[in-house]
Amino acid sequence: MIGSTDVVLDRAAAYPEIAGLRTALRRADWPACRALIDQLEPSARSGALLDCGDEKDIEGFLRGVLAADPADPAATALLGHHLIKVGWQIRTGYTAEHVSRGQFRQFHEWLRKAELLLIDGAARHPKDPAIWTARLLTARGLQLGLAETRRRLDRALAAHPDHLPAQFQFLQSACPKWSGTWELVHGFARDAAAAAPPGSPHAVLIVYAHLEHMFGDDETDVLRYLANDAIRAEIYEAAHRSVWHPEFRRGYGWLQALNAFAMIFTMLDDRRSAATTFTALGDLAAEYPWNRVGADVQAQVREARAWAYEGAS
Amino acid sequence: MRRLEVDGIPAVLAPVSGPAHAGLVFRVGTADEPLARRGITRLAARLVTDGGGGSVGPEHTYFHVRGSAAEIVAYLAGVCEALRNPPMDRLAAVRDPARTERDPLPMWRHGARGPGVASYPEWGLPGLGDDELRKWIARYFTRENAALWLAGEEVPEGLALDLPTGERQSAPAVGTTLPVTPAWFAGAAADVVAWDTVVRRGPHAAVFANVLERRMLHEMSDVTRRVHTEYAIRSDGTARIVATADALPEKADAALGGLIDVLAGLRAGRVAPDEVAAVVKLTCAGLRESESRGARLPGQAFNLLAGREVQTLEEALAEVRAVTVTDVVVVAAEAYDAGLLMTPPGGTAGWAGYTAAPAMSPAVLPGRTHHGRGNRRLRLISGDDGVSVAGPDVVASVRWDSCAALLAWPDGARHLIGDDAVVARIEPTLFRGADRVVREADARVPQRLRIEMPPRDRDRIPRPEPARGSTGGWWPLVAAVVFGVLAAFFAGGGVWLLGQLLTGGGGPGSSTAENALVVASALLFGGFFGRLAVTRFRERFAR
Repeated sequence: MIGSTDVVLDRAAAYPEIAGLRTALRRADWPACRALIDQLEPSARSGALLDCGDEKDIEGFLRGVLAADPADPAATALLGHHLIKVGWQIRTGYTAEHVSRGQFRQFHEWLRKAELLLIDGAARHPKDPAIWTARLLTARGLQLGLAETRRRLDRALAAHPDHLPAQFQFLQSACPKWSGTWELVHGFARDAAAAAPPGSPHAVLIVYAHLEHMFGDDETDVLRYLANDAIRAEIYEAAHRSVWHPEFRRGYGWLQALNAFAMIFTMLDDRRSAATTFTALGDLAAEYPWNRVGADVQAQVREARAWAYEGAS
Repeated sequence: MRRLEVDGIPAVLAPVSGPAHAGLVFRVGTADEPLARRGITRLAARLVTDGGGGSVGPEHTYFHVRGSAAEIVAYLAGVCEALRNPPMDRLAAVRDPARTERDPLPMWRHGARGPGVASYPEWGLPGLGDDELRKWIARYFTRENAALWLAGEEVPEGLALDLPTGERQSAPAVGTTLPVTPAWFAGAAADVVAWDTVVRRGPHAAVFANVLERRMLHEMSDVTRRVHTEYAIRSDGTARIVATADALPEKADAALGGLIDVLAGLRAGRVAPDEVAAVVKLTCAGLRESESRGARLPGQAFNLLAGREVQTLEEALAEVRAVTVTDVVVVAAEAYDAGLLMTPPGGTAGWAGYTAAPAMSPAVLPGRTHHGRGNRRLRLISGDDGVSVAGPDVVASVRWDSCAALLAWPDGARHLIGDDAVVARIEPTLFRGADRVVREADARVPQRLRIEMPPRDRDRIPRPEPARGSTGGWWPLVAAVVFGVLAAFFAGGGVWLLGQLLTGGGGPGSSTAENALVVASALLFGGFFGRLAVTRFRERFAR
């Protein structure tokens, strides 16, 4: 694998169920979609429904599915994610001050459509963590408040303990850019990582928290931040608890975990650790958190990987 | 439970486990009060009990006494005597301000009339005259408008209810100002979320209210410190269900989200049979307990006043036991559709499919416009139809023929409150020439709707604020200076030329007529720019 310059960002390469689901969606074959979705464990199911939300032009198809069975929880969550993605594309991911009023209105309009659907979905299926995960995204976009966002996370966790897709979403909402605080972000990441069984990917939340803190706070000097011994120790401890733990498996979250550790080891100037992490990833990578540095994720990953392998060889 | 009559008044009697008690009920309440007379029923009740009270609800007022037969007889005889001959000399002593918290929801649902009046302060009470109070008592506190309950073994010996005769007063019609439901508005109380609805009354609705409370307890315990529902029947065959949630500190938005989800869950039909069974059991236990204390009797007396028959405990229990999951789901959907949600201050519920309850008028009424002082975007309009106050994004119109009350302050301010609860504030300090509108309002609004308000503190009297962006900042001053210089240039030039012409020095023109024209236009321009300069200067320093 060393020497490969491919960077595969497609989630489906890491999570085969996504490829299967996309194919079934393109065939407009809902029974096949359900057969695939229903056999997934809850985190993989929420993750797949979130990722497939960006499939093009599925609103009509899913509305049809829901017309036949308004209670279908998977169709509700998937359509919810789809409507959220459409809205988010209008908002374009710029920070709030760079979005025009018209864009904001349309963005909110799509999120409201999603939220109405998801309110009904949660009303029928209060124990479906995929629906609550989607509602964490609407809560953030519609700015429903941190306490309401927390309530939705708690509902997701009550439905499925340590539900990582929901925890990923809450971590974003807990950041100051969405009216949270750094204390909240770090505290949440530590608690969630500690609560999850050893070898699970949840310690990646600690890495996400540090990366968000470094890139999301103008006051923070990245070099000085990473020179802090306590922070470095916490990152390595997180690696030992997750990606370096003998129980670490390629279940939901493995890609995000290895990818984030590859990035932070690179930033920590730890070639050896970065190289082993990149090796485990093969040519796979994830957009986030590389895209917090710049838009060309492929180039960044390629460069970091080359640097890591250069020292290792 | 026995039906009987005491001195021509329909009565209901039932034995109780504890001490005997009795209550004399009249079909009058806050919903009967015009806004300008808000509190008159409470004042009447206090007057005839020498400050003791009586209990005033939206549609009923009752005088309740607990004690021996002799005590009951004496108390009710005293109340009847005082209603017959109100002790007006005691009025000053019993006239005190209400101390209960006001529920804002009725005003948003019903406006400033009927049940909505209960949301307002008792503004008119201090100025209420003897005559009006006498008339109110004579109209509502009569034999024909009364019913009695007796909780005890038998009718106390010597009981006499010597009430003046009158007429049965039917409950006021219940109107709504909500064009679309479910609706929402932002409340004023921090950390409080509330919801109410109006449904057909009956055991289904009562059980639903209890299912709702139970669901709120279960699903909102992590974000609230107290939840509560109430079920209140009305004479028109409907019932009001109110749900209140007091949020934990900084959890108000989660309490709102939680309540929205609880209501959506019930509407979606997610009601378990064992849940309904548990609530039915509790409701029946509550009925039995109420029966033993005689607490069902007031409701039975209300029934008699509404021309309904009394209902025995067995009948009530049987009705409640017959309530099914389907019944509750049907009520839940009906309740959801008619709902009115109060969010915490600054909150919204538009994201959850609720429509904003109208907080202002749809249109500005035609008439003469008075512009705001220092802010031309603020307008006060007075015409034959009524008064409008309009600013950027706000319109408050009150028609003369649907004005619920006129609040009048000694400083000249007048607030017109419309039947729909919209308030048009005529503030003389804010508008040019507003005195004229004040005089018109005083002339147009009947005296009975007028409430004299106590003087306001200086800091409660609004002061004009320049409109943001248009006349604020230093631009008006810069403009004033520029126009001033131009004015001086033209006017000065004109005067100089005039002097030259008059002293025979000659002008730039070839003839006297041409020179005169130049002088005239210079003075005209000078005057024009001078006026502009003065206007801009005034706008800048209008505060």
